[in-house]
Amino acid sequence: MEEVDKIIIVSLRTIGCDIEDEIASLKEFSTELIVSSAVQCIKTILKQDVDLPNTLPGGMSARFRMGTGLANYIQELGYKGEIGYQTFLYSNESEIRKVFMFLVDRLPKDTVETTEEPMGSSALLQRAIASTVLRQMNSPWISPNLKKDSITWRGKPPMWQREGSCAMCNYHASKMKFPSGTGDLTKKVPKELKSYYCECLPYITNQTRNHKDTAPSILEEIASEISAQLEWENEWNSQGLASRLSEQEYKAKKRQRIQKRLAETLRQDFKRSQEASSSRSAQDLQQVLDKMGSRTSAGKTKGSRFTHTEQLVFAKDEVVSQIGTEAEKPHTEEELQKKREEEVLGLKEELESLSSKLDQLDLEVKKYSAGVKQMEEEITTQTRQNVEKEENYKVKKRTLDLLPDAENNIAKLQGIVDSSAQKLVTLANQWEKHRVPLIEQYRELKELNSKKESEAEKKLEEIKVFRQKMKEVADDARSKEEMLKHLNAEYNSMNKDEKRSGYTKRMMEIMSSIKKQRAGIDKVLTDTKSIQKEINSLSGKLDRTFTVTDELIFRDAKRDESVKKAYRYLAALHESCEQLVQTVADTGVIMREIRELEDQIENESKNKVLSNLEKITSDYQQMKKENQSMVEKIKHKS
Amino acid sequence: MELPQSMQDALTLAGESIHIPDAQFPSFVEVAFRGVINSNERNAIENLKEFTSKDPAAVKEAYAGLVAMVIEAAKQDTDIESLSSLLEDCKFPPERIKEVSETYQKNKPALQILLGSVGRTPAHIVDVDWRLDYYVKNNHMEKVNEAVYLITLKTELPSQKELQEVQFSCSQEQLQDLVGKLKDACKCLERISQG
Repeated sequence: MEEVDKIIIVSLRTIGCDIEDEIASLKEFSTELIVSSAVQCIKTILKQDVDLPNTLPGGMSARFRMGTGLANYIQELGYKGEIGYQTFLYSNESEIRKVFMFLVDRLPKDTVETTEEPMGSSALLQRAIASTVLRQMNSPWISPNLKKDSITWRGKPPMWQREGSCAMCNYHASKMKFPSGTGDLTKKVPKELKSYYCECLPYITNQTRNHKDTAPSILEEIASEISAQLEWENEWNSQGLASRLSEQEYKAKKRQRIQKRLAETLRQDFKRSQEASSSRSAQDLQQVLDKMGSRTSAGKTKGSRFTHTEQLVFAKDEVVSQIGTEAEKPHTEEELQKKREEEVLGLKEELESLSSKLDQLDLEVKKYSAGVKQMEEEITTQTRQNVEKEENYKVKKRTLDLLPDAENNIAKLQGIVDSSAQKLVTLANQWEKHRVPLIEQYRELKELNSKKESEAEKKLEEIKVFRQKMKEVADDARSKEEMLKHLNAEYNSMNKDEKRSGYTKRMMEIMSSIKKQRAGIDKVLTDTKSIQKEINSLSGKLDRTFTVTDELIFRDAKRDESVKKAYRYLAALHESCEQLVQTVADTGVIMREIRELEDQIENESKNKVLSNLEKITSDYQQMKKENQSMVEKIKHKS
Repeated sequence: MELPQSMQDALTLAGESIHIPDAQFPSFVEVAFRGVINSNERNAIENLKEFTSKDPAAVKEAYAGLVAMVIEAAKQDTDIESLSSLLEDCKFPPERIKEVSETYQKNKPALQILLGSVGRTPAHIVDVDWRLDYYVKNNHMEKVNEAVYLITLKTELPSQKELQEVQFSCSQEQLQDLVGKLKDACKCLERISQG
C-alpha cells in the first residue's frame, strides 16, 4: 500500500500539486489537499480550462457544488465506481486511493507519450520543420526598410529567418584552381608549376569575378570531385580488378580506347559529310583528321581556313614553284579576300592535278612491285626443282656406278639397309625413353600454371569479398554510432526521478511471494480435501460398523438381559458421539462467521462513519444558516 | 561529411605546423572565415605579412583546404563532434581542432545565411498598400454606389534594392475571396507546424 501511495504522491508532485514533503501516504491527505490535487489532475488530463477553482471554497454550498462538479468530471473521464461529492468532502481512504489511482493512471500516458516518440531522422526533421514554421508564423511583421538583406534576428539565442528575397543571387559556379601536392615530399612538382603556384595563382576566395560565386564554385568543385572519386572506385572495383592490370595500365588502356572511338566517330561523320557535299570545309576536316592521327595528343587543330591554306602554301612550295605569288600588295580588304580566294583556287587545282598524278604513279608502283613478287616466286620454285633434279641425278649416277658389280653391291646394300633399319629402331626406342619424362614434365608444368591462375582468381574473389565486408562493417559502425548518439540523447532527456530498478525489484519480490502464497493455498486445499475424504470414509465406516453391531446385538438382545443393556448403552454412545461431532462442526461454522464479522467490522470502521456524520450535520447546519442569511438579504433588497 | 581526397590532403597541410606556425594559426583561421563571408575581405589572406616567408604554394593549398571544409561543413549543418572527428582524421592537433570549432560555431549562422542566399525565388511580397474608392455613378446609371479596392503589393526581387509593385483593383467579394484563400494557406501552415 505504501508503494502505491508513494507513486501517487510522486506523480501528483510532478504535475504540479503542492504537497508537503512530510506527507507520505493517502491517510494524511486533508480534504483541501485531496480536492486541489484532484482538480490539478483533471486539468492536466483534459488540457483545457476546467472551470473549477484550485482550492476548496469557503461557503458550504460552493463546496457542495464543487464536489459534485469534480465527481461529474471524473465520471466523464470514465471512472467505473461510485463517486459523488461525498468522496471528496467526507473522504474515505480506500475510495480516495481508488480515485487517485484512476486519475494517475490516466496521467502518465499523456506525459510518457511525448518522450516515447520515435527518434528516427525523418521524425526529427518533421519536428524541426514544425517548430521552425511555428516560430516564424508567430513572429510579427516588420517593414522591409528595417531589415538588412531581409534577414531578421529574433529570440533569446538569436535565430535568424529570411523574410524577403532581395539578397538572393543565382547559383553560378566557375572553375577553381588550387595547388595540389605541395605537401607531398615524394612527388616532385615541376619548377614552372611551382613558380606559378607561388607567384601567380590567386587565393581561392579571390578567384571568381563576383564574390557571390565563391561558395557555389567551391561546392561545385567538391561535389564533382567526390562523384568522380566514387565513380572511379566503383569502376575499379567492378572492372578494374577483374582485368588484373595495375591502375596505370588500366587507365592507359582506357584512354587509348576512348581516343580510338573519338577518331572513329569523327572519321565516319567526315565520310558522311563528304558524301553529302564535297566542299572545301570537308577538305579542311580531312586535314584536321590527318593532323590528329599524326600527333600523339590532340593539340590545337582549330585554325582558321587561312592558317590551313598558309600551311598548304609552305608545304607545296618545294613541289610547285610557280604558285602565283603576286608581288603587288592589294589595297582594299575585298581585293585581298579575292586574291586569297583565287590563290586558294589555283592551289587547289594544282593540288588536284598533283594528287591525280600521285595516284597514277602509285598504281604503277604497285603494278611493278606485284610483278617483282611474281618473279621472285618463280625463282624460288625453279631453284627447288633444280635441287630435286640434282638429287635424282646423283642417285641415278650412283646406281649406274654400282651396276657392274651388281650382286656384291646388292648384298652390301642389303646389309646397309638392314643395319640402318636397326639403327632406326634403336633410335626410336631412345627417343621414346626421352619423350616420356619430357611429356610428364610438360604436363606437370601446365598443371602448375593452371593452378596459379585459378589461385589468382581465387585471391581476386577473396579481395572482392573482403572489400564488401569492409564496406558492410563501415556501414555497421556508422549506423551504430548514430544509434549511440540517439540513445545518449534519449537517455539524457529522460528524467531519472523514478527509480525503475527499485520498482522492478519490488515487483519481482511481490510476484515470488504471490507464488509462495499460491503454493501454500494449494497445499491447504489438498490437505482439506484429504481430511474431508478421511472424514467421509470414517463416517461411512462408523455407520457400517454401527449397523453391523446394531444388528448383531439386536439379534441377541431379545434373549439376553445384559445384551439388551449393552444395546441400550451402544445406542446412547452412538447418539452422544453424534452430538459431539455435530457440535464440533457447529463450532467450526461459528468460528468462520466470527472471522467474517470481524472483517466487516474493520471495513466499516474505515469509513469513519461517526466523524463524517458529525461533519455532515455541522455542514448541514451551516448551509441552513447561509440559506437563511441569503433569504434575509433578498428580503432586505426587495 | 565527406571531402574529396585532394581537399583532405590540402586540409592536412593546414594542420601541420611546418607550413602554418602555431602562433599564426588563429589569425589564419579567422581570415579564412572572413574571406568567405565578407566580399571586401576576400583577399585579406594576402595581407597577412607573416606568411610571405614560408612556402606560398603550401599556404595557398592549406587556405583552399580550410575554406572548402568550412563551406562544406556549413552546407551540411555539421555539429562540432563530426567536425572534430574529420579534423582528427586529417591529423590536426587538439588545440587547433578547438580553435577551428570555436570559430566555426561563432560564424556558423553567417555562413548559413550566405549559403542560403544562393538560389532563385519568385518575387516575395513584403508590404501592402490599399485604398478604398467609392464608385458613385456612370453614364448609364444614376447611382451605382459600389466600393472598389485598389491594392498595391510591394515585392522584393532577387538582387534588386528597389521594391517592385504589383497593382490591381477588386470588388469587395473578390477581396473577401482573396483573404479567404490567404486564411486557408495560414491554416495549412498551422497544420504543418503542429506536426
